[in-house]
Amino acid sequence: MIFTVLIPLLLACFVPFISKFKHQIHTGVFVFFIPLVIFLYFIQFIGLGFEPIRHTYSWIPSLGVNFDFYLDGLSLLFALLISGIGALVVLYSIYYLDRSERLGHFYVYLLMFMSAMLGVVLSDNVFVLYTFWELTSISSFLLIGYWHFKEKSRYGALKSMIITIFGGLSMFGGFSLLTVISGTTSIQSMIANVDVILDSPYMPLALGFILLGAFTKSAQFPFHIWLPDAMEAPTPVSAYLHSATMVKAGLYLVARFSPVFGTYEWFFIIVSIVGIITLCWASYMAVHQTDLKAILAFSTISQLGMIMAMLGFGTKAAIFAAVFHILNHATFKGSLFMVAGTVDHETGTRDIRKLGGLLTFMPITATLALFGTFSMAGIPLPFLNGFYSKELFFESTLDLQGAGAIASVLADIIPYLAVFGSIFTFVYSLYFLFGTFGGKTQFDKLPVKPHEAPIGMLASPIILVLGVILIGLFPSAVNGTFIAHAAEAVYGEEVVKDIEFWHGWDAPAFQMSLVVVGIGTVLTATRTRWNRVYRFLPGKLSVNKVYDGIMDKLDTYSRKITTFYMTGSLRLYMAIILSTIVIVTVSFMLATGGFTIDFGNLASVTIIDLAVALVITAAAIGTIFAKKNVAAILIAGVAGYGVSLLFVIYRAPDLALTQLVVETVSVALFLLCFYHLPDLKKQHEPLHTKTTNTIVSVGFGAMMTLIGISAHSSDWFGTISDYFVETSKPLGGGNNIVNVILVDMRGLDTLFEITVLGIAVLAIYTLIKLKTDKGGK
Amino acid sequence: MEFIILILSGVLFAAAIYNLLQKQLLRLIIGSVLLSHGAHLFLLTMGKLKRGNPPILTEGVSDYTDPLPQALILTSIVISFGITSLLLVLAYRTAKENDTDNMEQLRGNENE
Amino acid sequence: MSNLAVLPIIIPLIAGIILAFFPKKLTLVRTLTKLFIIGNLAVVSYIVWQVFNHGAIILETGDWAAPYGIVIVADQLSVLLALTTNIVAAACAFYAPYSLSDRKEKYYFYSFFFFLISGVSGAFLTGDIFNLFVFFEVLLMASYALIVLGGDKVQLRESVKYVFINLFSSMLFVTAVGFLYGTVGTVNMAQIAQRVQEVDQQGVLTTIGILLFFVFAVKAALFPLYYWMPKSYVVPNPVISALFGALLTKVGIYSIIRVFSLIFIHKIELTHEVFIWIAGLSMIFGIFGALSTNNIKLIIAYNIIPAIGFILMGIGVFNQDAVSGAIYYLIHDMVIKASLFLLVGTIAYAAGTSDLQKFNGLLHYYPFLGWLLFVSGFILAGIPPFSGFIGKLLLLKGSLAAEEIAIVIIALLSSLLILYSIMKIFIRGFWGEKDASFEPKSIKGRTAPVVVLLAISVFMGIGAEFIYPSVESISKYLLDPANYINAVLEG
Repeated sequence: MIFTVLIPLLLACFVPFISKFKHQIHTGVFVFFIPLVIFLYFIQFIGLGFEPIRHTYSWIPSLGVNFDFYLDGLSLLFALLISGIGALVVLYSIYYLDRSERLGHFYVYLLMFMSAMLGVVLSDNVFVLYTFWELTSISSFLLIGYWHFKEKSRYGALKSMIITIFGGLSMFGGFSLLTVISGTTSIQSMIANVDVILDSPYMPLALGFILLGAFTKSAQFPFHIWLPDAMEAPTPVSAYLHSATMVKAGLYLVARFSPVFGTYEWFFIIVSIVGIITLCWASYMAVHQTDLKAILAFSTISQLGMIMAMLGFGTKAAIFAAVFHILNHATFKGSLFMVAGTVDHETGTRDIRKLGGLLTFMPITATLALFGTFSMAGIPLPFLNGFYSKELFFESTLDLQGAGAIASVLADIIPYLAVFGSIFTFVYSLYFLFGTFGGKTQFDKLPVKPHEAPIGMLASPIILVLGVILIGLFPSAVNGTFIAHAAEAVYGEEVVKDIEFWHGWDAPAFQMSLVVVGIGTVLTATRTRWNRVYRFLPGKLSVNKVYDGIMDKLDTYSRKITTFYMTGSLRLYMAIILSTIVIVTVSFMLATGGFTIDFGNLASVTIIDLAVALVITAAAIGTIFAKKNVAAILIAGVAGYGVSLLFVIYRAPDLALTQLVVETVSVALFLLCFYHLPDLKKQHEPLHTKTTNTIVSVGFGAMMTLIGISAHSSDWFGTISDYFVETSKPLGGGNNIVNVILVDMRGLDTLFEITVLGIAVLAIYTLIKLKTDKGGK
Repeated sequence: MEFIILILSGVLFAAAIYNLLQKQLLRLIIGSVLLSHGAHLFLLTMGKLKRGNPPILTEGVSDYTDPLPQALILTSIVISFGITSLLLVLAYRTAKENDTDNMEQLRGNENE
Repeated sequence: MSNLAVLPIIIPLIAGIILAFFPKKLTLVRTLTKLFIIGNLAVVSYIVWQVFNHGAIILETGDWAAPYGIVIVADQLSVLLALTTNIVAAACAFYAPYSLSDRKEKYYFYSFFFFLISGVSGAFLTGDIFNLFVFFEVLLMASYALIVLGGDKVQLRESVKYVFINLFSSMLFVTAVGFLYGTVGTVNMAQIAQRVQEVDQQGVLTTIGILLFFVFAVKAALFPLYYWMPKSYVVPNPVISALFGALLTKVGIYSIIRVFSLIFIHKIELTHEVFIWIAGLSMIFGIFGALSTNNIKLIIAYNIIPAIGFILMGIGVFNQDAVSGAIYYLIHDMVIKASLFLLVGTIAYAAGTSDLQKFNGLLHYYPFLGWLLFVSGFILAGIPPFSGFIGKLLLLKGSLAAEEIAIVIIALLSSLLILYSIMKIFIRGFWGEKDASFEPKSIKGRTAPVVVLLAISVFMGIGAEFIYPSVESISKYLLDPANYINAVLEG
């Protein structure tokens, strides 16, 4: 099974070479065989006695991250869709994409996606699933940005990436949480240990994280906004990723985790509400679109919402219907996207306001559209698969029973909302069909004279429409062989369901269908009269604006915030750094009782000590008030000499000597460098700057003193110095202990101290010699 | 006595930081020099003051001042000296090159 | 045998000194540089092999027994970081001749380069806290020299700020070491740890610990102490930025890992909890910084901050998974940051500007460069199956197990924004119309080092099984300080 996932990815590496010959033979011809072979491989699993299969390959076993491929009914359904529709889409693309396009790129991305998507549906390991999940987002990003010279493509690509990767990361968080709770990375093991998960207080959080992933990927309200913009991708991509497969990954995820969360009340509430709202809102909005692909995009969103809602219902009937509709939707929506692409290709526009009357020029395309739209609309005809699943949907809304208060209210409203959404589904389906093919042809508005597409381009939609009809005519053929298996994988026990066309006039679901058809027809006929309603709803409301606003604010606010403190002013930086250190350190000192003071064991004080200390203090403060360069330097020098005096007093002759030399050289250097620079100016600073400076500096100094006093007073251990005193002569061979330490015990310090000096000398030399690197790189 | 030196070190720190918060390069450098004085005095005090003789072995003396802090300070003094020298030249060149010794005029902008 | 441990410090030192004698003979200098760095890499690899198979190497310098002399402690963490340092350095050494002007190379670039490596390796390997200070100074001094190399106005200006802030933190470091000596009477880290444990980190010790934390946090560029960093990492040549971005801040965060897994671990509920908050704020403000600018080099520089935040998050949470994650992330970030700085430097060179508003459609001329950037973006953001993902996975698992939910959410959101900040460069700079008037420049030799580094990153993700067990053993080792203490004091 791993080969089905790896083959597209591996072969993608060869595509750039093959595409060098694209002028002799279209690259798609080679690529076509890859999904075809995979499809044939998966076909062998269809059958009544199907049992799940598991293949495991290790990747990072010590982290529990392995390629655990698990093929059950649900995965099989998706794998067939991915490879089957994939083959048809590649076939279609051979005619759709001109050889002058960058075909190599296109097919590499497409194959990358195919691998990724197969990986998503076959992985039992949550982290591998996540890996493939992100790869689908990435390939989707690249495909949407395929024509990246268009501003809209770039916008759409970025939007889809931001939203889906946002969801992906959230899902990753959810998976990590589930792993921590359950101690396993395998979804099937999680299902087996569902009690542990349900008992955890973090279960709702994990659910929320995972649902965010599913909702963003499956374009559920309010995250649906990326999908319409994703229509900038070439049409085969829209048909494949953005209708048949990738956007269903979210559904797959919810279905996959139904056995884990299904019994939790809020799972029902959230998933159903989001699904139903998406269904209603998107089908309502679809009628308002003018671009054929935009209509289909909103239509896809609403259908995804419908399936999502059914997964939320979680009843046996609902899940069966959901799974069935995943298949049906792939067939009719795939064909419709190809129809839209064909129309675009042959007329040069997708604007429904410019189209119309194409029936006479493109009869085959029109026929295909007819089947596709009628199936989508759920018109009660026995050869349309869409009707069956739509009716199963209605049925499932009727037998809902909510456990809690919210849930039961919800259960009561859902059937009405379902009918509402379906009415608009009906309206946009017919709008799409008649707007394009009915009415008069507007030759003056069409860039190209319309004509029927070549047969190769029609082949794929024809096959899909045949699928629509065949499933419609023989629903039980797919039912027992794999729909039931898929539903069983979601529901947890065997799902037996007969799909029948006729339930009698009094079947409530059928009555709902009739209402949909009735009102829908009226609304379609009077569309131009009531479409003013869009001025009020959505009117100026738009989730897109929220997205644009967030991205925009992200830019402006990050700039504002950053330029607010990253001013380039060293003073500000120092002030913030210092006050942070003071505040946090002092808080810690208070919190841990860090201050101790012990007046015992102190050295005696003499007048000389005091005098020197006072001189240093005066000099240190004096530097602040000095007005001349020379004066400031000399005053600082006084402090330095004072310190060496202290070293003498405190029995550190080596230090005193070194300090004396260093101080003298420093003062000389100071004078050398700063004699020629402008003199110190009087401090023209506002009072509040001075006040802050004073507070910060005094605060810091005080803090250091307090810590110093406490450190001095915390005398728990003897120092290691006694050892140095003892061994200096016998082992170190010197009387001056400090020197012995420096050259022997801590010789490494000294070696690198000299290194520091050496580097400094080199650096100074470089600084002086290498003034400006003129003509440099 | 130690406390007096600790307070002195604190004062050196405070004065140093006050200088570091100024605009003119020279003041900043003076600040950093004072800072190193403060640090070294702190370190010296941590080895206790005036306990015994200077750490040079002498016949008949067994009581010596803690030599380790002195060794550490010595290393640190040399290093500070290296940095200060570099800083001086650097500051001088910066001031010449940018025609100002005022840090507030050395802020810069985004695309450089 | 144990003298091996000092070689990663001494070899670069010697190399730096030798190269300082004939800086003008560029061909010779370049050849020697490559030989030295490859040689050093080989030696370090051998040490890594030794350490992972036969345990930590403890070298008591000058044969003065610990805790009296300076010990070099080549344990698994140290040598792994030294190895990464040398890998990154090797990539930079091969990149440098293409990117630096001959004049800069002649003015001791390679010597400074080796001194920097010596200082960094020393900081990783030393077991003595004052010696750590000395190595800090070595690497800082080398970095001061590198940052002003060329002496442009801008460079001078930013380096002054850089030097001042680092000088301040160095002095604070000396003082804090002094305080520590005043309380526990030693500078040997193992013994400090032992003694701090004996008195249960009472009294002023936690305060001193926090002071040390800030010393390191300034170097590590953590919130809110990173102001010096973005600009000063941008102004020098890309190869220098790469060295800085990959190594300097990492020495800071390494020191935090070391000190707060070995010494100050007895008030975790206070100290480490604060780290988590600082980590979160670093992520937020760092990524805001990256989003605030159109300067592509600055975008990368700002991205250092959230990465350090991720590592600190692991230390803050302080359990097996989180610490493993922090270490994994640390190594990952050293490699990817170096490659990103080199890459962006190349892009800026190819485009003739680092202002994102001034170029587009580069993919038409430099497709390879574009895809390298694209992949780097995902590596950096921790998208699987690359190296960042493994670190992030561990960090997440650790934090969730510790019920630190808020930091997890911040981490996930900032991952998204990190990706956005890089993809912005790809979308705006590489996608778009072909600019016919554009004259492409040759970028010969500049991509190979980047490719090698990216390949390592990819391997660290896909081949995590080869690396993770080592990282796991490091974090087990770190979580029980007795390992380190016994190795040094009784070994």
